[in-house]
Amino acid sequence: MTFSEYVVSRWDTLSLAAAEHALVVAVAIGIATAVGVGIGLLTYETPKARGASLALSAGILTIPSLALLTLLIPFTGLGWGSTLIALTGYAFLPIIRNTVTGLRGVDAATVEAGRGMGLSSARVLLRVRLPLAWPLILAGVRISTQMLIGIAAIAAYVDGPGLGNQIFEGLARLGSVNSLNATLAGTLGIVVIAVLFDAGFSAVRLLTTPRGLRVRP
Amino acid sequence: MTAETLAVGTARTPARPSGLRHLIAPAAIAAALVTLYAWVSTLELDSIERRSLNQAVLVDKTVEHLQMTVAATALVVVIAIPLGIVASRSRNRFVTPLILTAGNLGQAVPCIGLLVLATFVLGVGFQTALVGLVVYAVLPVLRNTMVGVQQIDPALIEAARGMGMTKGQILRRVELKLAVPAILAGLRTALVLTVGVATLGAFVAAGGLGELIINGLKLNRMPVTIVGAVLTACIAFFIDWLGGLAENLLKPRGI
Amino acid sequence: MFDRDPAGVRIELRELTKHYPGQPAPAVDNVSLDIPAGELVVFVGPSGCGKTTTMKMINRLVEPTSGQIRIGGQDVLGLHPDELRRHIGYAIQQVGLFPHLTVGQNVAMVPKLLGWPAAKVAARVEELLELVSLDPGTFRDRYPRQLSGGQQQRVGVARALAADPPVMLMDEPFGATDPITREHLQNEFAKLQKQLRKTIIFVTHDFEEAIRLGDRIAVLRERSHIAQYDTPANILAAPADDYVAGFIGQDATLKRLALLRVEDVPYESPLPDPALPAVAAGATLREALDTMVAHAADRCSTPSGVITYAALCGAVGTAHEQAPEEVTAGDR
Repeated sequence: MTFSEYVVSRWDTLSLAAAEHALVVAVAIGIATAVGVGIGLLTYETPKARGASLALSAGILTIPSLALLTLLIPFTGLGWGSTLIALTGYAFLPIIRNTVTGLRGVDAATVEAGRGMGLSSARVLLRVRLPLAWPLILAGVRISTQMLIGIAAIAAYVDGPGLGNQIFEGLARLGSVNSLNATLAGTLGIVVIAVLFDAGFSAVRLLTTPRGLRVRP
Repeated sequence: MTAETLAVGTARTPARPSGLRHLIAPAAIAAALVTLYAWVSTLELDSIERRSLNQAVLVDKTVEHLQMTVAATALVVVIAIPLGIVASRSRNRFVTPLILTAGNLGQAVPCIGLLVLATFVLGVGFQTALVGLVVYAVLPVLRNTMVGVQQIDPALIEAARGMGMTKGQILRRVELKLAVPAILAGLRTALVLTVGVATLGAFVAAGGLGELIINGLKLNRMPVTIVGAVLTACIAFFIDWLGGLAENLLKPRGI
Repeated sequence: MFDRDPAGVRIELRELTKHYPGQPAPAVDNVSLDIPAGELVVFVGPSGCGKTTTMKMINRLVEPTSGQIRIGGQDVLGLHPDELRRHIGYAIQQVGLFPHLTVGQNVAMVPKLLGWPAAKVAARVEELLELVSLDPGTFRDRYPRQLSGGQQQRVGVARALAADPPVMLMDEPFGATDPITREHLQNEFAKLQKQLRKTIIFVTHDFEEAIRLGDRIAVLRERSHIAQYDTPANILAAPADDYVAGFIGQDATLKRLALLRVEDVPYESPLPDPALPAVAAGATLREALDTMVAHAADRCSTPSGVITYAALCGAVGTAHEQAPEEVTAGDR
């Protein structure tokens, strides 16, 4: 069976696995973005809290994914739960770091002008700092997303959803007819998802970056 | 993508450890290992568990794991840093964005997929795992090297040219020196990444601590899995700590 | 608030002190100063003398440690800081335009915060851009990054004027531009202020700028102690001490001449003399002197009469009996 025949014959399974893969990553990224940007907003001004949140999220990222996924089994069991928790945890560092860097990177004069005009600190944060930091925050979310798409493949080993199952199927049947096809389908499928997500981010970036930051002098 | 993504490629930890803070990480790792040992000692291990959880096997697996990590990292250094320097010199305006995009998307390529695909060419074993690991870790280091060299203040290069340095001298004495922190940060990230990915080597019969994790899951012996997972995590933290120390020692003074 | 009357109101500083915790000496020490309504007062002094800190206490970007600030008789420290700042124009050297908002949106920010109706805001933006010589049609929808440095400074001034505040604080607002643009902006601003008569506190370390713009100048030394507080002419004529004299520099007399216009001195004859070197109406005495020296003449002609070198000397109060002979010796 050639690769294309394989893909056609397993289209239902593959497309479902791909959809699940994308879904679990999207949910994890959604949670991590909401929480991570929130943490960034709360901690960017206090060096201690900022350092602690960055060190903690860097610590999570240091734990090997297979180790973290298996260590979660006693608590959250096999499947979606553990996958979602591990993926969300891994996504924090780039998001928090870019949020903090972006918020802190806003030109001091711009902030002072805002304060001097009588904008409250909350308004300066939401109307000035956040829009100006947004491109960098988005870049952080984008990096996290790419990372999670790859890590999610391993989640299949703890019965998680997604295209990783194809790869592990290929591994389990090493030597059989469709072993290579399954592995290839899983790996390439994940790359396709990554490219699609990246294209999505390019579009979001284009649509949401304030025009004043895109114009050329 | 350009300046925005780059902010992220460098410097893993926000604050440089100083004084006593150097010792927090090793102390925490030691505490985790002691706790693990104490916990395992309270368990009544059956024969299957005892086959994995003994000194000889643990040392063996740890050594295999480290071998895989170190060998892969060494190969990555040899391949990625020179390529990164070449890429940074390139006048072709397509090379930089291409590498940046590939570096970004490359993160999404599942390393387990690469490893399994490598077995179709090389069979199972240590070399296969090595190839998979190297392919996986080359891109981030290459990207960091390239970016590290390119992001140097053009005024410095101009000053060096104005002093009469040749291109080679500028590269060796100015650009590479100043790019050291970025290159080291990339290497450290790659090293820690490789420790984790090396657990997957067990899937292609390359040994390592991943074997404990997998066997424990297969045989439904959670203690074995947990020992494997905790040991891997401890190694990763330890190497990250060593990397931090090395970064501090190796980066040029004054930066 | 204090801005019923958009023309200036009086500002009073009483024993104003700012002491940052952990520092041995206060940054601003016991400053008392009255700024009359509708005047432009320049705080001038070296970097680090506390002039900016003093200014920032007025809109409470810096909270005073002790002392009082009254604007139009109202105690500022009892007001809500954000509310207060919306009624005080604020322009700084780095301008600080919001890069994600258009020029129009930048200028409209404070009026919107104050809840002006949209039509009034739009009309005000139009009016202000014209006031600072930027064509509204061309510039309203541009972004700050598309403007030159000088244009950004103009937008900064327009934004500070947006809600027609009676009081403006300006911290080297023209500092970041090249000398030519800078002088141009200063002259335009001086003209604008003649029309608006706001109460303005203007901080600079450039004494020339202080002379050019100030109705009064407060020369500050360290910790914002006031070395002298007077009109430019008086300070130039009689510096209070060596510190002030040092700040003025060697050419105090020339600077004084620059403050006076040809109309300010008595004419030798009330008719212009085409044979003499000519200066324009409204020229400064410094320009008149320049013309005389350039032509090695002891008098020059303005459209409304002839003025002499002796008259120049008289205007700045120096003895002038011998001087003209020296000049004429070379000439005739």
